[in-house]
Amino acid sequence: MQELFTTYFAELLAGLWMTARLTAVSFLGSLVVGTIAAAFRISPIVPLRAVGRLYVELFVNIPLISLLVIVTFGLPDVGVTFDLFTCAAVSMVLLGGAFTCEAIRTGVNAVSVGQIEAARSIGLDFFGVLRHVLFPQAYRSVVQPLVNVFIGILLSSSLAGVIGVKDLTLQVSEINNQAALGLTAYMIAAFAYVIISLLAGWAGARLEKRWRVQR
Amino acid sequence: MDRIEIAGRSLTRRGVLSLGLGTLGAGVMAACSNTPSLPPSSGSASAGGASGSVIDLAAYDAVLAKGAVADASLVEANSWAKAIKARGVINRGGTDTSSLFSLRDPATGKVAGFDAGISQLLAKYITGQPKENLSQVTVDTRETLLQNQSVDLIIATYSITPARQQKVDFAGPYYESKSAILVKSTTTNINSVDDLAGKNVATQAASTGVALLQKYAPKANVQTFDDNPKCLAAVQQGRVDAYVIDQSILLSDVAKNKDVKLVGDPFGNSDPYGIGLHKGTDALAFVNTWLKAMEADGTWAALWKATVGQVVKSEPPTPPAIAS
Repeated sequence: MQELFTTYFAELLAGLWMTARLTAVSFLGSLVVGTIAAAFRISPIVPLRAVGRLYVELFVNIPLISLLVIVTFGLPDVGVTFDLFTCAAVSMVLLGGAFTCEAIRTGVNAVSVGQIEAARSIGLDFFGVLRHVLFPQAYRSVVQPLVNVFIGILLSSSLAGVIGVKDLTLQVSEINNQAALGLTAYMIAAFAYVIISLLAGWAGARLEKRWRVQR
Repeated sequence: MDRIEIAGRSLTRRGVLSLGLGTLGAGVMAACSNTPSLPPSSGSASAGGASGSVIDLAAYDAVLAKGAVADASLVEANSWAKAIKARGVINRGGTDTSSLFSLRDPATGKVAGFDAGISQLLAKYITGQPKENLSQVTVDTRETLLQNQSVDLIIATYSITPARQQKVDFAGPYYESKSAILVKSTTTNINSVDDLAGKNVATQAASTGVALLQKYAPKANVQTFDDNPKCLAAVQQGRVDAYVIDQSILLSDVAKNKDVKLVGDPFGNSDPYGIGLHKGTDALAFVNTWLKAMEADGTWAALWKATVGQVVKSEPPTPPAIAS
């Protein structure tokens, strides 16, 4: 137990840093992809709606671990080789984007049709309505669902070790292999994940309060 | 613009989609794994090739049939063995995906290999029947499963290390292996462990390979993956230049894949495999006594020949000396 914080402290920290980076990159990527997908899904153009829908239905139904293996070891067979961090991030963005899209769409649905009609009547086009009316309100009303997406991404980042990205879980596994600490090392890692999740939930609650849409 | 999904419709579509997806996924998976090819038929393998197994199954079964059975009094005097005899089957922690050591034949459901043989012979010694009940273990769960006595023993190419000895008892060692280097068959610039400097080298995440590379090839860029197929795929796809791990694992990779080869001499400390046991019981002495006897009467060498010896073309080595 003690050697975990003396001998292996640097490794633990490096793992935590990798988990943080991977989660941050994947979450930001998910927000971008999810927003675009949501715009597709509510657009007036039928083929775009279909594409958005197909994307969401496809990726909320694939386990991340299959996605990781397909992106990492499947794509090189068709001539596309990313480095491993990118592979992990791409997989997690594809998955996270689909869930983000659905969260944002819930927020969009919460905006009353009257507002959209009003926006159209003063001459805003589709993008104008999205940018000035729909998305600002949608984001504010789905802060907590987005926090859930964030926590989902954080926890699923523990699978990145499968393709050799040295995140917290893989580091712990390697430390465990050298020092045979049994469950102790995993408990420490679990504790770290819980702390980050709780912090995210707390930050989400604060933001939600501050950004609440007055109706 | 504001569209509300009807849950029922969405659900049926989802079902259809995931079906299609499964097929797609299977297709991609099939595309990236190698076409399973039968191993080259080796001289002494008569029935071995039938199921795609590298092991000479006829010889393997013969070894089991000849395995010794202990005197009832001997088993009676040992609480660990007595419990197994009462149950009629030995609970082994292991794996069924290791070609030479413990591989399940999908057709018959039987597990065969060097590790499986040791376990089944010990089961026969205690109960009279070579019957084992295999629980899957991973490198992360082995110590815990022994500590909470979920299994009687673990035989799973389980390297004896001082850190692990603090948690569990090891009988044996019953096998020794060194590490080797696997590269693509077209690779010409890696011929020994010294050539690994500056190269990307894969090894399994939870293995002794990581520490080994730090010592023997400190300038190599170590890249870990969680299991053997991924390390192998990384070499085949050029993601890494070489793959270093225990020779016994690489031998079965080479036996099944024509596009990779082993280079250089085996290096590193010899890695002793032990039989993991719950710490502080009378199992340790019992298993060690049995191991000594089966090594002395030629059972060990016959088992080696039927399994590992099908790929390593040499006479059976001398079994490692058993620590008291």
